[in-house]
Amino acid sequence: MTRRRVAAALANLVLAGIALVFAAPLLWLLTTSVDAAAGLRVQVPDLTGQHFASVLAWESGGRALWNGVLLSGGAALVTMVAATFCAYPLSRYQLRFRRPFLYTVLFATGLPLTAVMVPVYSLFVRFNLIDSRLAVLVFLAAASLPFAIWMTKNFMDGVPIELEEAAWVDGASPMRALGTVVLPLMLPGMAVVAIFTFILAWGNFFVPFILLLDPAKQPAAVNVLTYFGQAGLVTYGQLAAYSIVYTVPVVGLYLVVSRALGGAFSLTGAVKA
Amino acid sequence: MRRRRPGVFAWLPPMVPTFLLLGLFFIGPILWAAYTAFTNAALSGPAARDPEFVGWENFRRALHDPNLANAVWLTVLFTFGSAVIGQNCLGMLLAVLMQRRNQVIRAIVGMLVVAAWVLPEIVAAFALYAFLSGDGTLNAVLTTLGMEGQNWLFTAPMLAIILGNVWRGTAFSMLIYQAALSDVDVELLEAAQVDGAGPLRRFWHVVLPIVRRTVMTNLMLITLQTIGVFTLIYVLTSGGPGTASQTLPLLMYDRAFEFGEIAYGTAIAFVLLGVGALFSAIYARALRAEV
Amino acid sequence: MTLNRLGRALVTTLLLTSALAGCGGGSGDDTDRIRVVYQRYGTGIQLDQHLQQVKKTFEQDNPGTEIELVPVVAPENEYLSKVQLMLRSPRTAPDVLYEDSYNVNADVAAGYLHPLDDQLHGWPEWNQFVETTKQAGRAVDGRIYGVPMGTDTRGLWFNKRLFTEAGLPTDWQPKTWAEVLDTARTIKEKHPDVIALDVPAGKPVGEAAAMQTMEMLLYGTPTADLYNEQSERWVAPSAGFTDALRFVREVFREGLGPTPAQVADPQYSKSTKEELTRDGKIAIRLDGSWLPGNWIPGGMVEWPDWVEVMGMAPMPTQHGQPPGKVSLSGGWVLSISAHSQNKHGAFAFLTKALDREGSLAYAIAASQLPVRRDVAGDPKLAERNPSTAFWAGLLDITRYRPTLVEYPKVSEEIQVAMDRVVNGADPEQAGREWAVRVRQVVGPDRVEEG
Repeated sequence: MTRRRVAAALANLVLAGIALVFAAPLLWLLTTSVDAAAGLRVQVPDLTGQHFASVLAWESGGRALWNGVLLSGGAALVTMVAATFCAYPLSRYQLRFRRPFLYTVLFATGLPLTAVMVPVYSLFVRFNLIDSRLAVLVFLAAASLPFAIWMTKNFMDGVPIELEEAAWVDGASPMRALGTVVLPLMLPGMAVVAIFTFILAWGNFFVPFILLLDPAKQPAAVNVLTYFGQAGLVTYGQLAAYSIVYTVPVVGLYLVVSRALGGAFSLTGAVKA
Repeated sequence: MRRRRPGVFAWLPPMVPTFLLLGLFFIGPILWAAYTAFTNAALSGPAARDPEFVGWENFRRALHDPNLANAVWLTVLFTFGSAVIGQNCLGMLLAVLMQRRNQVIRAIVGMLVVAAWVLPEIVAAFALYAFLSGDGTLNAVLTTLGMEGQNWLFTAPMLAIILGNVWRGTAFSMLIYQAALSDVDVELLEAAQVDGAGPLRRFWHVVLPIVRRTVMTNLMLITLQTIGVFTLIYVLTSGGPGTASQTLPLLMYDRAFEFGEIAYGTAIAFVLLGVGALFSAIYARALRAEV
Repeated sequence: MTLNRLGRALVTTLLLTSALAGCGGGSGDDTDRIRVVYQRYGTGIQLDQHLQQVKKTFEQDNPGTEIELVPVVAPENEYLSKVQLMLRSPRTAPDVLYEDSYNVNADVAAGYLHPLDDQLHGWPEWNQFVETTKQAGRAVDGRIYGVPMGTDTRGLWFNKRLFTEAGLPTDWQPKTWAEVLDTARTIKEKHPDVIALDVPAGKPVGEAAAMQTMEMLLYGTPTADLYNEQSERWVAPSAGFTDALRFVREVFREGLGPTPAQVADPQYSKSTKEELTRDGKIAIRLDGSWLPGNWIPGGMVEWPDWVEVMGMAPMPTQHGQPPGKVSLSGGWVLSISAHSQNKHGAFAFLTKALDREGSLAYAIAASQLPVRRDVAGDPKLAERNPSTAFWAGLLDITRYRPTLVEYPKVSEEIQVAMDRVVNGADPEQAGREWAVRVRQVVGPDRVEEG
């Protein structure tokens, strides 16, 4: 009995240690964002709300956040819809190319986007899409599509086919069965996919930086640079404050996912091969 | 359980949007990039006006480029250290330790680990920079403990970026392993315990065989994510000092955008893809052997 | 049926997202609109303010014309990459761009820039520009592709208080490299915690390391050249280059300069260095005429005392050989894109931005040395920045970097060689390897030994 207790205490100790290490770099963001004398290290802040006020102003920060919401939200929607349609045949039919297709898709998730940015830029120029937020949105959607397909297909595998068969017997077409039987059961999974795409797109700096010209259209990720540039003591505070504002939507969405599904479940379905 | 071999009209239409999106915005640019790698395209200078087809020249050059050999080695080191060893093992350790801990501990630890992961990459990178830099928190802590601080990003750049990436990416593995472990039958474990197997043996002989497929899939995913890591390293060390932490994505960016040698940068991108493909092939083989 | 549903879903999605994203799309071929691309990053705020002001007056004077300012918020290398990407296509090319003079040749070779000679001919004020500064925008084909916004010179800044404490004269004017190093050693002995001699170094500062340290040294050696204009060849390897590397080696081996860790830290050159200078932690800086821009009100670190504390001296030649001092100049120009649909309007805007009033305002705000004679004598300049006269005095002997297409690449190789020496490599070997790389970059028939 005591052995078990010792083991438990040990496990808790190790966990506490790990948690502390993981928390340490984050702490800087919190203290610095409200510190009038912000520097590079964690210190007791000389409290001020000024950093947050300045980064939330529409011109300097608010607009970029809104642009980010539009771009990432749109991309998430497009990806979710396309991935759901694409996953249906992959999950339900016996396709000869299924395995190679899935492995290609999985491999594509690891492609470094930076590598294709110059060709993508040329493509955008050729079709007059530079500076178009819609086009950037679609590109971001396409870029996260491989991972989304992979996840969606696995979620769909989790929905028993018997339910659909009942619908087919009633004379419903496969697409109708998808809409009325499978989708309602998959909604949580689809939400996970959409949120993942949103998070990926939200964090992407390089794509909008290259493809959008007008600073008024740049999303939050690019705007972060503003605070790197202006050196001096003040900007660490603004940088930290902006980082927090920039992070909040992502953390919020993550909480939604894990609350709704239990953090673990959301990924089990996603990565089972 | 699959229905039947369907006709083309059954499977094709739903996949059309995906094919369009991927074909236009993904495969198209990749093919274009493949072509570019065989030219001398540049951002400026005469080659920007009329890029010429140069055959295998860029790859020949890459073969003899000491920076590339260095970058391949560092990429493998980075991937192995931070993903295969770091994220994977730490993720598993966390998942195992958090099993059967109380709700509060799970929530707090989980939250902190996941926080590093959901942060936008550039923010995570800067938080790490502030933590590790000469004037940073880590040195402040070390100094109060009576130890000598140092500029970690300079003295141990590879260690810094590897630990940085472990910090940032462990959550993914942890979440996956938590899920996988919850599928392990408790009765099996208890039976093993009755047989006198200690915790390590139980893990090795009972748990690991069950979750092995998940481990492989996870390894493949995190490996592919890790070889492409750019922003984190760019903010922390910019690949420096010198080329001491210049992994392939950094080298590619350096050549393509700092030197303006688009074509050579793209050729390096294909080397990067090659490294990814190699890792994938290994995992895929291991997975197939399982089936 | 299936296809119908699918089609409807697709259309709905696309409509929805396009509504969400607002109308993106073409920037339009409106010829009454002039697009101006420039960098707004760090200390570049003054440029932004200046162009905003010019836009306002220009639009008042030319009703119906709209100036579209497109600031790029990014560090210098990223700015240059992005502008070069934009210049590639008529659809994205701006009309007017802010261009580093050292990129002019490469961009001309790429067909990005529009020659201005004809238009400058009809602009009487062009005669006001100091002849040497016109080099900044001149390409190898002899034509002018950019009008200089301002220029700079380089030399030594030193902290007179630290000098007094170390028993050194506050009117310090070193005659040789050895004297510079000896002075730094004296300081280091007296103040071990002070950076005795700061020279730009390391990857984060990029071109500054090549130009401000290596070339400042190289041009002060008997070799004195990176490129031989007569023979049209690059001078590599050269004794001077190796000597320059030796100087760097001594600075870093003896701990006179910043630590290698500071050199590798992007924040050091961006801000820490200015704070250290203000706090009296740097004794000598091999740096440029623009530093007061960081110290005056509104600058990066406001420091009213700099006028009393900081002294200036020209950088001496290696052994004091004539002309005894060295300076290099660079500077940014305003150029017009070859793809511009409205070159006439673009030129009108450019001349408005750089007329007497505009040049003066910008020189004052950005701590640039004036490039126009009618601005140079303006008392407002000296009032705002008393060091201007000293730095402008170096314009007589100042030199420009080789304005060749390959220069940026040769410069990158210089940075690599220097960075290796900073981190302990042997100067002779680094110099030899540098020469090999230069030969690869420019071609074996375009180098000579020096």
